[in-house]
Amino acid sequence: MGLRLSGISKRFGDYQALDTVDLEVRTGELLALLGPSGSGKTTLLRIMAGLEQPDTGSLQLHGEEALGLKPRERGVGFVFQHYALFRHMTVLDNVAFGLKVRPRGERLPNAEIRRRVEELLRLVQLAPFADRYPAQLSGGQRQRVALARALAIEPKVLLLDEPFGALDAKVRKELRRWLRGLHDEMHITSVFVTHDQEEALELADRVVVMSQGRIEQVGTPAEVYDNPASTFVYEFLGQVNRLDCVVDGGIAALAGGALRVATGDPVQGPAVAFIRPHDVTLSPDPEGPGNVLGVVTVGPQARIEVGLAGQILEAEMPRDRLAQIGLRLGHRCAVQIERVRAFPRV
Amino acid sequence: MSAVSLAEPVPLHRGGTVLMRPTIIPGFRLTLGITVTYLSVIVLLPLAALAVKAAGLGFGGLWTALATERVLSAFKVSFGLSLVGAAVNAVAGLLVAWVLVRYRFPGKRIIDAFVDLPFALPTAVAGIALTALYAPNGWVGALLKDWFGMKVAFTPLGIAIALTFIGLPFVVRTVEPVLQDLPPEEEEAAACLGASRWQTFRHVILPALMPALLTGFALAFARGVGEYGSVIFIAGNMPGVTEIAPLLIVIKLEQYDFAGAAAVGMLMLLVSFAMLLVLNLLQAWMRRRHAR
Repeated sequence: MGLRLSGISKRFGDYQALDTVDLEVRTGELLALLGPSGSGKTTLLRIMAGLEQPDTGSLQLHGEEALGLKPRERGVGFVFQHYALFRHMTVLDNVAFGLKVRPRGERLPNAEIRRRVEELLRLVQLAPFADRYPAQLSGGQRQRVALARALAIEPKVLLLDEPFGALDAKVRKELRRWLRGLHDEMHITSVFVTHDQEEALELADRVVVMSQGRIEQVGTPAEVYDNPASTFVYEFLGQVNRLDCVVDGGIAALAGGALRVATGDPVQGPAVAFIRPHDVTLSPDPEGPGNVLGVVTVGPQARIEVGLAGQILEAEMPRDRLAQIGLRLGHRCAVQIERVRAFPRV
Repeated sequence: MSAVSLAEPVPLHRGGTVLMRPTIIPGFRLTLGITVTYLSVIVLLPLAALAVKAAGLGFGGLWTALATERVLSAFKVSFGLSLVGAAVNAVAGLLVAWVLVRYRFPGKRIIDAFVDLPFALPTAVAGIALTALYAPNGWVGALLKDWFGMKVAFTPLGIAIALTFIGLPFVVRTVEPVLQDLPPEEEEAAACLGASRWQTFRHVILPALMPALLTGFALAFARGVGEYGSVIFIAGNMPGVTEIAPLLIVIKLEQYDFAGAAAVGMLMLLVSFAMLLVLNLLQAWMRRRHAR
């Protein structure tokens, strides 16, 4: 067992940052806390580290009650969004810090500390930079120093707060892949916070989607993407169309009845249909209900805006497929929908 | 491990001397010219006059004017006690800055304003107030005398107190902004890595504050060396014991020994300059170690 949080609540003045959150982090997994800013994900992470105290609730770290423990007693590695490296120390000293501040009895001999630090620097591919100061490194390198520093104390749990948030897109992607590889090697129980759904889905074993201080859904990336538990999760994870519909006996009637799609949801009457753009198939048809209002191409993908009985539906398909079927602006088209999730209209 | 290499090299900043860099104020020559002229008129000219006056004595004359018991001990008192005052301020000023930056409490603005008072008060007023307070019949002086048999006014201790009083704002006001900018994450990172509060302070906070602390120390020290008004009342001015160098200059002036006064002034200038230079070099070295 890794971490177990139950009934965690936290208020900052009038603002409810966390509202009775229950969560279990399994040993050895890489868990993502995903949500928009203000959803409470960072607060939850800081509570795990002991940098913040919850108002109510309990936290167990490997089966032991941990709320009474100070951050330094928890054996938790923390990586900050803006690295928080010690500016006046070299890379080597930064990574060695956690080993050097140990009480005299538990302290390793200096030679052993140096050996371990050098090994860690090789692991994060920064061995040649040992004598540099943080100001002399790029953002990606600094974040890897921060990671090595956190790993040096051999933490039971590694916590990362938006670890790639301050990096540019390319470095971010490389570092993400590299971190996944590192986790696969070391299997250290890890929790990372992100507001980037792509990052969460690509990197994590399980994703926790949060909103307004509550957990909306917990599941594998495939589960939360394919079967969102709420409209919030649906909209937060990837592009989605919202169309008004009426459900009767498991059949959703869209666009005033022009389109009928089976839905497995136990909803009856007026509802909102959630449709992913890539679940929409278009084909040219002069008699079809759709009307192509716009075409935008992004790299190899094409996004097509279709007018459907006064509502707008976005479809997505590969660009060459679009060229093949010859669908253009102003054409009428037939619309086919693979999957629909219907939620009651509020 | 992934196949992507992450070890992209970043060039070290190792610039040579750059004479001109684009700035928002136009005219390098013009601004440099004004700077040099201004410094010459305001700083260099009076100092040069001082040097010329002192040089009038000749080497032998300088030696006889300066190499006396009285001059040497006055220098020891002035520089030694200024160092003591600056050192006390470095510790206490850091504490005051810490409290003002890190805590919120009622009356904080007022305390903040108190810090600047030693700047604003005429130094003679401060000197008289301190003397009245610490004299053997003053409020604090009487208590110290009764309880510990300690004498403060008219001793070197009294001088140190006066110099501490006037130097406090320097340390507080130089450390405060740096402390404000210190990211709390560095302390949190240290805590997560297992550092105790003392270790965090000693190894993370203090090194970051050190350049500012040193600046404050240097300013407080320089102010203490030149201080006259607040010290002469509390010092007692016993030659060889509590006589400060600036007072010696005044005494020489009153005796119409202008060249002798200039000689003492010149020596003070040289010693101060040397010490400030050392402090500046130390600071430059520290800044270079973690330049942003």
